[in-house]
Amino acid sequence: MSFELQVNGKRHTVDTDPDTPLLYVLRNELALNGAKFGCGLGQCGACTVMLDGAPVMSCIVPVSVVGARPVRTVEGLGTAAQPGVLQQAFIDEQAAQCGYCIAGMIMRAQALLDQHPAPTDEQIRRHMMPNLCRCGTHMRILRAVRRAAGRLGKGQAKGPA
Amino acid sequence: MTGIGRRRRFWRWLLLGAALLGIAAVAVMWRPALAPATVMPRFEPGLVERGARVAALGSCAACHTVDPARPFAGGFPIETPFGTVYSTNITPDARTGIGGWSEEAFTRAMRNGVSRDGHLLYPAFPYNHYARLGQDDVRALYAYFMSRPPLAAAARANDMTFPFGFRPLVGFWNLLYLDGAPFRPDPKQSAQWNRGAYVADALAHCSACHTPRTALGGPDDKRFFDGGEAEDWYVPALNAKSPSPLPWTREHLAAYLRTGIAPGHAAAGGPMQGVAENLRLADPADVEALATYIHSYLVQAPARATPATRPGSLPAPKADDPDLDRMRLGHQVYANACARCHDAGRAESSGTALPLQQAVALYDPDPRSLLHLVREGIAPPDGEPARWMPGFGAILTDEQTVALAAYLRRYGAAQADWPDLADRVRKGKQ
Repeated sequence: MSFELQVNGKRHTVDTDPDTPLLYVLRNELALNGAKFGCGLGQCGACTVMLDGAPVMSCIVPVSVVGARPVRTVEGLGTAAQPGVLQQAFIDEQAAQCGYCIAGMIMRAQALLDQHPAPTDEQIRRHMMPNLCRCGTHMRILRAVRRAAGRLGKGQAKGPA
Repeated sequence: MTGIGRRRRFWRWLLLGAALLGIAAVAVMWRPALAPATVMPRFEPGLVERGARVAALGSCAACHTVDPARPFAGGFPIETPFGTVYSTNITPDARTGIGGWSEEAFTRAMRNGVSRDGHLLYPAFPYNHYARLGQDDVRALYAYFMSRPPLAAAARANDMTFPFGFRPLVGFWNLLYLDGAPFRPDPKQSAQWNRGAYVADALAHCSACHTPRTALGGPDDKRFFDGGEAEDWYVPALNAKSPSPLPWTREHLAAYLRTGIAPGHAAAGGPMQGVAENLRLADPADVEALATYIHSYLVQAPARATPATRPGSLPAPKADDPDLDRMRLGHQVYANACARCHDAGRAESSGTALPLQQAVALYDPDPRSLLHLVREGIAPPDGEPARWMPGFGAILTDEQTVALAAYLRRYGAAQADWPDLADRVRKGKQ
């Protein structure tokens, strides 16, 4: 079946089975390899992207339910040459060890910052809870989110849409 | 007799009547403070241990513990039709907990719903059940709570709707619903059944959620175990009205109460999850007794022919379905999102999901529990192995959620439509 998707502001048409996870479409059809396959069960968060502004685990999102709702991936926040505010904060804090969880972490955090530009530590911890990191870089991830929140709070631009 | 004399007599009687009413109202609504305890008794370790098991049977932690790192410090919001009540700190902290409470004050709170300082507790705290506890169990609970680490946590102010913020009104609730009668065993039943009845009624307070409440928030005892609600979940009936699509065996029920999991039945979700978490820590013999007692009601449910006995994937909607577009959308969501785990034809094991035609939420009289499960999923308690399901709240649109629930109800459970489905989906999002 053919599905029309809006990813990072661009329209794409993909031909695939209706139960194909959005994650597979992003990675295999659209070559957006930021989101990672972790558990495939919606348990770890490595595949987190934003769907209509909310963080979702794309491995359990069948492509058929996406419809016209916009999808945003880590590639939509910036590039290696011009990282977005949150990406830059992760770089500044060296918040990755193996890095496998980081694209998901960034997208979940971005969803929070879009809603609450100046979240409390309690809000950050609660919001980031579903995403797992097995290297133990949690404290750096928290610092990166805090750093980005501080910058966003001072009226600097959010990452490009 | 002059008109003035009649008028005087009238006023005298009116004043007398008002005074009597006033005295009666004070008698109903006012309770004295009890002196703070100055010296804490030391407790036998055996008594404290017994108190821990009694507290587990009562699921005290389900409401009084919010953060597992701060047990019994309170702060859990309980939403009632009369406002939101926050559970209190029942650690022995002298300032913010029950540190200054004598056994007499603790007993009065448990049996009469009166705080040490004399204010009336809201019946969100089920003292109308604990009133029937044996004093030895009350004493064990006292020993247990008084030997917990004291934690400073002031009670959160309740958020009651007018006029229920005026606590003395609870005195009238107590007149209606607080009967001081002790637990009476039924001589026609076995010792195990009677133990289960005591645990269910005086401790586990099962009927607080499984029996509907009156408009005044009291138990509607004429509809005992007819099913109620808790935290916006439908709480299943445990009698002839049980919505369970497969009959419960006593053994499965005992396993469910202890672990939250039983073959052929949905995993404990919503508020029941906390109950199973607590019962896991109770004396297994008491949980067996509880199962025997509850099962004696569940067997009243007549055998029913339900799709639950037919394994396999749920069917596509019939071509002549009057609601074909919605059913097609619901079936599509089911086939693409749910079936991957729920109907993949795998054998039952700890890692696989229930065939949806066996999910009790599809057979409930309203869709609240199903909507909670679809949107929030099920997460096991921290550090505990249990069933797990991701939430689809951010993945499905309202239209898809309504279609899925309507489809599952019709083609998964073969039950009449929920008339309030679309409304509930909209409300649940707020």
